[in-house]
Amino acid sequence: MLFNTASFFLFLAVVLALFYASPRALRKYILLVASYFFYGCWNYKFIPLLLALTAIDYTAGRWLEKVPPGPRRKMVLILSLCANLGFLGFFKFYNFLGSNLAWVMDKPADAFFLNIVLPLGISFHTFQSMSYVIDVYRGQQQVVRNPIDYAVFICFFPQLVAGPIVRAHTFFHDLFNWQPPSAEDVSRGVLLLTLGLTKKMAFADQFAKVANEYFKNVSGNPGMLTAWSGVVAFGMQIYFDFSGYTDMAIGMAKLLGFHFPVNFRRPYLASSITDFWRRWHISLSSWLRDYLYIPLGGNRHGRWMTYRNLMITMLLGGLWHGASWNFVIWGGYHGALLSGERVLRGDRQIRKDWTWLYPLQAIVTFALVTIGWVFFRAADLPQSLAVLNQMFRGAEGHLLLANWHFELIGIALLLALAEEKLDWFERLLKAPMLAYASALALMLFCIEVFGVIDVKIPFVYFQF
Amino acid sequence: MRKGMAIAPSPTLPKTPVRKRRPITLTLLVACLLVFGLDALLFRTGLYTSYLEPESSAGLLELILWREKTAQEKAGDNLVVTLGNSRMGFSPKAVDLRPRQTGYTVRNAVVAGSDPRAWYYLLRDLDPTARRYRAIVFGIDDYDDEDHAFNPDDDIRTLHYCIARLRLTDAIDFARSFHSRAFRWEAFRGAVLKGIPLQSDWQAFLAHPLKRIAYVQLCHRGWPEWTYNYEETTRSMAGLQIDWSTFTATYPPGMTDEQKATVHNSLLEPVVPQTGRLDHFLSIWMGRIADRYRGSRTKIIFFRLPRGPIVRPDNLAKKRSSSIRDLASRPNVILANEHFFDSLEHPELFKDALHLNRAGVELFSTMLADEVARILGPSGVPGGPAGK
Repeated sequence: MLFNTASFFLFLAVVLALFYASPRALRKYILLVASYFFYGCWNYKFIPLLLALTAIDYTAGRWLEKVPPGPRRKMVLILSLCANLGFLGFFKFYNFLGSNLAWVMDKPADAFFLNIVLPLGISFHTFQSMSYVIDVYRGQQQVVRNPIDYAVFICFFPQLVAGPIVRAHTFFHDLFNWQPPSAEDVSRGVLLLTLGLTKKMAFADQFAKVANEYFKNVSGNPGMLTAWSGVVAFGMQIYFDFSGYTDMAIGMAKLLGFHFPVNFRRPYLASSITDFWRRWHISLSSWLRDYLYIPLGGNRHGRWMTYRNLMITMLLGGLWHGASWNFVIWGGYHGALLSGERVLRGDRQIRKDWTWLYPLQAIVTFALVTIGWVFFRAADLPQSLAVLNQMFRGAEGHLLLANWHFELIGIALLLALAEEKLDWFERLLKAPMLAYASALALMLFCIEVFGVIDVKIPFVYFQF
Repeated sequence: MRKGMAIAPSPTLPKTPVRKRRPITLTLLVACLLVFGLDALLFRTGLYTSYLEPESSAGLLELILWREKTAQEKAGDNLVVTLGNSRMGFSPKAVDLRPRQTGYTVRNAVVAGSDPRAWYYLLRDLDPTARRYRAIVFGIDDYDDEDHAFNPDDDIRTLHYCIARLRLTDAIDFARSFHSRAFRWEAFRGAVLKGIPLQSDWQAFLAHPLKRIAYVQLCHRGWPEWTYNYEETTRSMAGLQIDWSTFTATYPPGMTDEQKATVHNSLLEPVVPQTGRLDHFLSIWMGRIADRYRGSRTKIIFFRLPRGPIVRPDNLAKKRSSSIRDLASRPNVILANEHFFDSLEHPELFKDALHLNRAGVELFSTMLADEVARILGPSGVPGGPAGK
């Protein structure tokens, strides 16, 4: 049940109707049932796994409450983390490790192969659940005693399969102090839902058609322009796809009275790679910062340790996305860029105001990020190298993007710049009804004339 | 931390400030109306549809409609129009070049790839009063109904041909005329929101808007003349032989793959079980056309087109109905002699298994014009050449 299908909107309408028609005490049960139904629509066989993960971390939380600080308490945390990472590792990394082990042992590549189906959203809900246990261990989060509350936290359908990764304190604050959404929340929710749908159907899927066509047959599409346009198309696809999904998730949560943090802040306007990671998949980068980079020492132990910590964080962040050397390289590439920026910048802070250098910085950052997408999207390392070879050493080639694709990029760029400087989204929420309705209408019209309607292209991050 | 949703809000939390509520249902309704308004402004007013890509299905039909509407203004009272698909190889120029004129002006509103459903919507706007023409001449494959593998009800191309002609009031009726649920939905959605079927046209327009506008203007200046002067290829199917006992064709040297494909796909097409779906389709759409002209001075004349360079044996399929013959019982519907064009069914007069070549078109056009004149009788008023 993809977010951009009629069946999902029907599901959402039914959930909203039941949610608000029910007494308050019943509402979390409705959310729970709806969320498991939503997950089961994809593959009901993994519901026991979701239940098991929920039970483990719920129990770990309760256990931590009873165990005083000391080695035993640490052991409980380690047990919980091992269970979470064990599930994640088995489902996500077993075959990757197996194939590498087979290579080391000079055995056939499929010597240790198991036909494993990756449970939908496992990377997201595992990280979300782990953050709860770590926060409880650190004393930053009170223990949740009702298993239903905890189960709703893990399986809440708007963000179950692709985030944003919501911290326990944010979610439980909304759950325990639930208030009906205000008029502004409803306006914001509807606008975000429509905006997300537009990003997905009219933008991401149009660029996906170009990127998929290119990466399906890289050797048959030689040329520098061809390679750059194929990779830029993917860069556009992944941004509009993932931020569209997130907008919809946040919008739906708003309609249900929950307030999720922003996950994207116009990342392609970033003036540096550091700035990019403050704008891209913010819930993951802040998770990695809080639960990996800072515990590793962050920037507190000198330059070289900072570079090391950045590299480790980004390598693991890359690996979180998928079990392949491509993701490791992608993470390492960003780790190296972040470290390189630190070397160049020294102790100076990133300037937040725009200077005359800004356009150049933004273009260079975009180009560097785009080069990184090659590893993210290519099927394997040889294909990544073939694409990079064409991007930098290929013959002229031809553009895969039509003029109207560039017009779409132009519109998106103007809107992003306007949002950055004029905050149009917030203004629109306070605007008169006709202006707000016109904005919704324009988005829907955009879906009508640009939306990929009859071909269902899955969200990119559903595979993680 | 308190549990459950039934518990009152924490005293530390500020209450949600009371704001003036935006009537969200009304807002969504207004947004939907605005979308329909935008769609209508662009795709129902001619603002955009006059600039459709001339080589697209919709653009082609629009150009033909525009050309024939323009011709109506210039032509006299004895105006006849031919309708059909690409197999109806009628050339007004071939008729005009004859030394002896019949007094009728025979125009050509044939749309390649179209079907009776598309002809109905085309005619509705081509002849809104249902009185402009002395006759409407249809070229059809057969007077008896033979079902083929393809279900004519589910030819979604019709949506694309007729998209600019469909009205909001057609949405349900048009959608219901498709058989499968998926096509019904696609047709309904397209008839309501025309931007969806016109997506690729619109995107191509945005890619090069000035180029498109210039090309459409060029077509408006030259298209009537180009189509009038268009001459079919002289290529023929001479030498083609078919062994019907084994359903195999022997091709002469030099025959192209395209020509062979038409033989394979039409002449050698396997017979499918006869379910009566063509009868159903023709009865509905030809019936509707005939209904529009009930009591009108306009005659509806059917011709069976030359069947092919070689004729399939008639006994291959057991044809169970004849919707066209059934229509002939109506007062203003006339069936021309079924065998009128039998003399053209020779490989030398066809460019492939379906379409006449230049010599075939010339013979076909003059024969058709003469027979129409004979059927309609003396014109009374002198008719001019069909013109450009």
